[in-house]
Amino acid sequence: MTKRRDLYLYLTLICFFAIIAIFVVDGYMGVYDTINITAGERPQKIDPDFWLRPEAMTYETWVAWGEKVFFDYEIANHRLTGYTAEVNASVWRSQEKVRDLVTQPLTINALSSGRVEWSIDTAELVPGGVTQGQSVQYSIRVRRDNIEWRIIININPGSLPAPPKPAIRPAQPG
Amino acid sequence: MKINYILYGFGILLCLSGVGYLAVQYVKYLSELGRLISLLLTIGMFASLGKFFESVGW
Repeated sequence: MTKRRDLYLYLTLICFFAIIAIFVVDGYMGVYDTINITAGERPQKIDPDFWLRPEAMTYETWVAWGEKVFFDYEIANHRLTGYTAEVNASVWRSQEKVRDLVTQPLTINALSSGRVEWSIDTAELVPGGVTQGQSVQYSIRVRRDNIEWRIIININPGSLPAPPKPAIRPAQPG
Repeated sequence: MKINYILYGFGILLCLSGVGYLAVQYVKYLSELGRLISLLLTIGMFASLGKFFESVGW
């Protein structure tokens, strides 16, 4: 009778620890994206769990006109098999594609990671500059398989050299 | 003495609600297969616990 009682207790403990193990292993396994953005001199990191939040639709960042924005897209393959995907990043405005930034096939070994880098020159994107008091929004769409992340870039007026002021001539006497 | 049992009950309820909250947060990030296996293991765990208490004489 005691043996059977112990058996039930052990079974309970085994089930409990198996549930904890599933929480840990299943949480770790998968393919995770991390995007590092350097806008101006400000580095920002978008962790994988950012996109898992229900309220997270897009990530937003700001940059002054004339500066470059650097992207470092890291894909971590936490699986026991290899992972192959094509990564595509493009710039969009008003639901229209402006240009492709990068298209790169990626093969990542098991329990390893791969990365794709690209950059945007805001001066090329908005050649005429941005008028004071306004900002221009572009969205960067990063696609991997059927997953798409959106990053909004607000291009603010940079510190452009002030236009030369007209010389004021002193009033002529008489 | 009665107040002690009320406090024990209150503490147990807080523990259970905390564990439940954490479990819900974890389950959100689990895959479908992970959820299914966790559910089966939970059923197995409570069944074994029930049998254990039954054998103890509760």
